[in-house]
Amino acid sequence: MAEALQKKLKAEVDKFTLMQKDVSKSMSARQKLETQLAENNIVKEELDLLDTTNTVYKLIGPVLVKQDLEEAKATVTKRLEYINGEIQRYESLLKDLEKKSDQHRELLSSLQQEYQKAQGLAVGKV
Amino acid sequence: MAAKGKMNVEHLGGVARLREEHQKKVSGDYEALTERLQTLPDQLSYDIMVPFGPLAFMPGKLVHTNEVTALLGDNWFAKCSTKQAQKIVDHRMKYVKSEISDLSKTMKNFEARVGLVRDLESISSSKGDYVDIREDTENTGDIAVTKGKQRIAHKPNSKPKLDAVLDLKEEDEEKEGSRKCTTTEEELWARLDELEKQEELQDDHDRLSYNANMNGEDTSSLSSEEEKEGDAAPAVNGLAHSEAPPSSGRKADEEAAAAEEDDDEEEEGSCLPTIFFSHTIEPKKVRINTGKNTMLKFSERKEQKEHSKRKNKNGHSNGHSHHELHKITTPVDIYRLFVDVKNGEPVPRKSILKSRSRENSVCSDTSESSAADFEEGRRAVGRSFSHDETTQSDTSDGVTEEESPTAVPLHRASRFEAFSGTVVEKEPMPSAVPYLTISPPALPTILERKQEEVAPDVAPPQQAPKRLSKFKAARLQQN
Repeated sequence: MAEALQKKLKAEVDKFTLMQKDVSKSMSARQKLETQLAENNIVKEELDLLDTTNTVYKLIGPVLVKQDLEEAKATVTKRLEYINGEIQRYESLLKDLEKKSDQHRELLSSLQQEYQKAQGLAVGKV
Repeated sequence: MAAKGKMNVEHLGGVARLREEHQKKVSGDYEALTERLQTLPDQLSYDIMVPFGPLAFMPGKLVHTNEVTALLGDNWFAKCSTKQAQKIVDHRMKYVKSEISDLSKTMKNFEARVGLVRDLESISSSKGDYVDIREDTENTGDIAVTKGKQRIAHKPNSKPKLDAVLDLKEEDEEKEGSRKCTTTEEELWARLDELEKQEELQDDHDRLSYNANMNGEDTSSLSSEEEKEGDAAPAVNGLAHSEAPPSSGRKADEEAAAAEEDDDEEEEGSCLPTIFFSHTIEPKKVRINTGKNTMLKFSERKEQKEHSKRKNKNGHSNGHSHHELHKITTPVDIYRLFVDVKNGEPVPRKSILKSRSRENSVCSDTSESSAADFEEGRRAVGRSFSHDETTQSDTSDGVTEEESPTAVPLHRASRFEAFSGTVVEKEPMPSAVPYLTISPPALPTILERKQEEVAPDVAPPQQAPKRLSKFKAARLQQN
């Protein structure tokens, strides 16, 4: 009994660690998106400040490509929206993962208790 | 909690600090940049050494000093004049500074939280929660002490100690009863005791079942009784079990007593996890062979365990004991024989029978505690009293609840010498009851005990001598 419980416990613990990894991964991705969001906001503001006299370049690899101001503005806006959407997606994913991990945690704790009881009983018997 | 909070705060603080430093560095860079931008358009061109890779330089000229390609962010560049670039730089600087301020705010927040948690911890630690716990420990400690003493019981000296312990327990009980705040903890302790008792009961049950097979009694009933008892009373019963001889038989009495005891125990248990040795019922020796006898024996054991209320049954049990004294179906009978042999009075029985000692010592929580005091006094006189106590406990229960003591004395006379002692006690009990309030040697019912608890400290010493005299007189009379 105790051994079976122990095995179960190990399996659950492994699952839980995997879930935790997923959670952390999604969290880091979300953070990246957030920084990108902030940056794009700044770019948008700067572009708004600029007037048509200046030329706007976009860095694609080692090349600076000339861009139209309007085009640049539109591009930046679109990118902003895209980033927002990604962030929301990641948020929902994170929530689900957290819920699952919590459930798993509870399961783990209960299993642990059982295991301890079994161990205690075994000790007592012995 | 505080530790965790601290950790989090430190972690966050570290992160915030890093970001802050980064932002500061950036702001420093930006300030330098601003300066450069201002000075750059002063000249149309500058002669500079242009770096070719990391190791080489080339003399060159810096032209178009007013044209600057500024990074807007996210790989976007804008060609603009220095002034415009300046504006961009200023803009960025503002942003960086706001970030820094936000970070510092969050840091302060976390620090405040950690401080709060720390304060809470310190406050909680210094408060009286521990006091409550202490109270519980006191009670449990007493119980432990009493328990240990009970086991030693057989020796007459131990009894007085037990009495002291009982007193303490009683005091504790009183204290505990007064404190309601600790009730929860006490309840927990009581619950723990109950669980312990249950375990012990189970062990005893196993033993009893074994004995029952030997005796042919109903062990199941005993076990059930034990269980009842276990549920009701705190751990003391467990001790009683260990001491109680394997009298599996006497179920009838025990059951009755157990039922009573259970009730009593429950009542008592609520207040404190005191050890309740219910002498209940009739002396062990009396009932050995027949169901009645067995019951008696068992009841004695129960007393050992700490059941106190043998109210009704005690009376009955006593009657049985008389004619079945001589039958030896269980080891208890043997004990009784020994007892009789030794002194002719129940005294030896006391030593042999743990219940006695327990009775005297402290075992009975309910009535015994108070009775214990009495018992100790009685023990000094002789074991006989102890027997009486057992019987009396039964009777005392009966006395408190009923008035069976009179019946008991009759029984005692018919029984062995040992029994006679017990019986004697019963007689004085009715008389003693009025002034003693505390249950007479027999374990008084919980009600009695409560009274006893209040009075026992004072009464026992006085009562002991009185009781002795009475018992002796009774015995003499009987003899």
